[in-house]
Amino acid sequence: MKVRSLVLLAVTSAVLLAAGRAEPARRPRYGGRLLVEIGTVVSSFDPSVSPASAEEAAAKEEICALIEEPHKPEGACAGTAGSGAFRIAEWDPGKHLTLEANPSYRGGRPFVDSVEIQMGRASRDRLLDLEVGKADVVEIAPEEARRASQQGVRVTISQPDELVAVAFVPHHMISELENMREALSRSIDRAAIVSFILQKEGQPAGGLLPQWSSSTAFLFSTAVDLAAAKKLWAQISGFHPSAPTAGAAGTAVSPKIVLGYDANDSLEQSIAERIAVDAREAGGSVTAVAVTRGSPGSEDARIVRLRMASPNPSEALARFMEVLGPMTGANTDPPRAQATPQQIYDTERAIVSGYRIVPLAWFPRVYGLSMRVRDWKTPGPSETWPLADLWLGDAQ
Amino acid sequence: MTFRTKLFLLFMIALLLSVGIVVVGVTTVTRRAFQDSNGAHSEALVAQFEREFDRHKQDIVHRVQGVADAEATVRMAIDLSRPKADVSVYVNDARGVSASHQLDFLDFASDDGSIISSNESPARFGYKIDWLAQPQDWASLGAFLMRVDTQDGPALGLMAVSVVRVGDKNLYILGGERLGKDFLASLVLPSGMRALLYMNLDPSFQAIDLVDESGPVTDGERFGQFIEDERAQPGAGSFKIAWTPDAASAESFHELPLVGRQGELLGTLLVGNSQREVVMLERRIILLAAGVAAMGLLFGLLLSWWGAARVTLPVRKLAEGAREVSGGNWRTRVEVKGHNEISQLAKAFNRMTEQLSEQRERLVQAERVAAWRELARRLAHELKNPLFPLQTTVENLQRAKEQSPEQFEEVFRESTGILLSEIDSLKKIVGRFSDFAKMPQPEIAAVNLNETIRGVVKLFESQFGTVGRPPITPELHLEEGLPPIQADEALLRRAIENLVLNAMDAMPAGGVLMLRTTHQNGEVDLEISDTGSGLTREECDRLFTPYYTTKQHGTGLGLAIVQSVVSDHGGRISVESESGVGTSFYIHLPAKPPERPASVIVEKASSNGE
Repeated sequence: MKVRSLVLLAVTSAVLLAAGRAEPARRPRYGGRLLVEIGTVVSSFDPSVSPASAEEAAAKEEICALIEEPHKPEGACAGTAGSGAFRIAEWDPGKHLTLEANPSYRGGRPFVDSVEIQMGRASRDRLLDLEVGKADVVEIAPEEARRASQQGVRVTISQPDELVAVAFVPHHMISELENMREALSRSIDRAAIVSFILQKEGQPAGGLLPQWSSSTAFLFSTAVDLAAAKKLWAQISGFHPSAPTAGAAGTAVSPKIVLGYDANDSLEQSIAERIAVDAREAGGSVTAVAVTRGSPGSEDARIVRLRMASPNPSEALARFMEVLGPMTGANTDPPRAQATPQQIYDTERAIVSGYRIVPLAWFPRVYGLSMRVRDWKTPGPSETWPLADLWLGDAQ
Repeated sequence: MTFRTKLFLLFMIALLLSVGIVVVGVTTVTRRAFQDSNGAHSEALVAQFEREFDRHKQDIVHRVQGVADAEATVRMAIDLSRPKADVSVYVNDARGVSASHQLDFLDFASDDGSIISSNESPARFGYKIDWLAQPQDWASLGAFLMRVDTQDGPALGLMAVSVVRVGDKNLYILGGERLGKDFLASLVLPSGMRALLYMNLDPSFQAIDLVDESGPVTDGERFGQFIEDERAQPGAGSFKIAWTPDAASAESFHELPLVGRQGELLGTLLVGNSQREVVMLERRIILLAAGVAAMGLLFGLLLSWWGAARVTLPVRKLAEGAREVSGGNWRTRVEVKGHNEISQLAKAFNRMTEQLSEQRERLVQAERVAAWRELARRLAHELKNPLFPLQTTVENLQRAKEQSPEQFEEVFRESTGILLSEIDSLKKIVGRFSDFAKMPQPEIAAVNLNETIRGVVKLFESQFGTVGRPPITPELHLEEGLPPIQADEALLRRAIENLVLNAMDAMPAGGVLMLRTTHQNGEVDLEISDTGSGLTREECDRLFTPYYTTKQHGTGLGLAIVQSVVSDHGGRISVESESGVGTSFYIHLPAKPPERPASVIVEKASSNGE
């Protein structure tokens, strides 16, 4: 008993001692260089230069939020340079950016002395750099979050606030066929997309808003309805707008939807290819083609990724409709600012019932952090990287 | 055409036939030999393909088994054997594993056949491969052909299945290699051959599904019909495609059907064999054969010409000798060399000419003797008639002198008158013979033969209708426009008169005397025919012999004179006679007689029209 008591005492003492040593580290500490790696390439902070992609626009906005205060609603980098928590120290466009702490920042000097941002790093390289201590904060694709976590990487995951959906391009002969849009929507196995492609880091989406925001997302079905999909594909198989005599001649023409995805986005590519497989299994035909974002294409529909602009459902929905309306031709009125959940649901239902927008999944923002990063607060909708508020502790 | 030419042509034809047969034979044999060789090449390539195919199958089986034996796969199988196992974590594993094991296709499938991870179609996770979960001894099945759905469309794969069993759960590994241009590139082909693969992946023939080692085949549409035939009735076969009108562009193909697990036709291997080398070699052989044939023909031509000349030389000499003989040179001899048939013929010819010459000599001597005898007989006969009155008159004078001197004066006057008369007869007889012996040389001038004939007929016109004698009817068939001939009209008239007189003598009972003139080939022809009793063959043969006559009081000189006149004019005379029908004389006179009149050719006559 004495021995056991001694051992227990020794262990308890050790734990208390360790806790006592860690306690000083929890106090913010100034200094240090924060190493950030992102996959996106930002080529310019000039507000007059349009970003080449949504990812660049988002990254540009994140960085500008660090060097400007306050953030202007007109767009990224429209504020006063140097008024933010950091100032640009070095800038190698598209590759490397070094920010130094702004001691005169009105919110107080950031804890870190500088932030070094490497751009255009591949996902695998970012994870490797994180593991070997060459990076402190890295972007991780949601589909890699689980594997990274299993590998011991410190991962932080936001609420799922980014929607991936199929948006039918208006005034295309194929996309104007509602039953074909419905057939495609019912063919898609959203659960498989979330489980396999997103590696369960997300939620199947039947509506435009996530459950945590609207509380009504569960009312939208996300299940695959193969029987209904096959029936719909069979109904439209005898009609093809580009073959006007096909129906009259009684010849079944397999309808084909050309589905575009961003050539630089592997997640979109995987989802588009899965949709093509699902459609084929249901008797339809979808061809996934890579397109360059922003360029006019001949595709009937596109995979789109939309990040919530606000945690407020009505604001987020209104922002979605601003983007998706012109893109799809949907002309549903946006909800009022103080809309009730029922009104928001009705608006969502009205939008998705036409199948011009086919929600697929929600997924979060995932970041990998080194062990020395302290006080990281995962950004939510409308929030930017909290680099001014974190500090660097010991690697232990 | 001469015998030499005929012989030469015969040699040439024989040579041409021989050369032609040799050329055709060589070409045919060569072509067959090359066809056999090509067939053997194609079969060897097919055998090579089958060996390569088997090797690939074994390799695929080993590689797929290697995947199954890998530690990561075993861990995956153990993990998936647990209840409520999360398969999604393995969704991307196939890509890395397939790369490390050099497999184009790789699928991990769970116990129920659901795809966990797929390299060729990453988006097909969750869907089932129904046949995979059915009971099957995959190890003994080995590798097999299969249609594989990839993101880029269907493909043809050489696949194998391995199973990792943990507890009562199976993890299926379906892996394989794409069968396409890379596989074809791995085949080592002889020059001029190529391998094509048609992947039977569409409901109907699609040219893009036909590939060679560099990709889709150019002009693949040309294979459409053959592939469709193969699809309709799978099996080994062959066909040929001519890419251009040039035969050298042709390419023959052997078909090897490629079937899947269920025996379904999944592809067709086409082993192409260019005909260019064969055709070019065949052309070279034909050219060579043609060259050799041409040289042979040229050589044969010279040899045949020389041979024909050598072979026909004795014959030509014989022919020349025969011409000499026909020209009257009865002593002609041909040179005899060797002991062959030609030399024997030459010897026979020489013997013949020798015998002919001797016989002719004897005949001439005999005829000469006969002629002299006939002449003597005629002369004696002619002279005997006047001599007998002369003798009687002289005897009467002697008797009158001795017995009746008073009447001697009167007898003397009468006797001298008789003597003078008989002596005159003797002189006439001697004169006729003298005239025949001294036939005058013809005095040539332009003569209208028709006019001469009309003159002769007019001369005898009164005698044709003499009272107390059966009439003779003259019939003239004289060709209008008969060209004048160069002749002595007096001699011609005399000859025609003799023939007319003969005809009249031959028709004591009357008849028809026909005179006909025609002309052809520069000759003027005269026919004088009667309807008399005709002549025998012997009479015809001797008819122109001087002093031969069939008449009681003839001198036998009339037809001899006719023959002499015709001969002097360079002409010919012949006679045809048939007993009881009549006799016809044919005279052929040249429009212009030769400078030196040739010998009269007495044509063969017969008594029966021969």
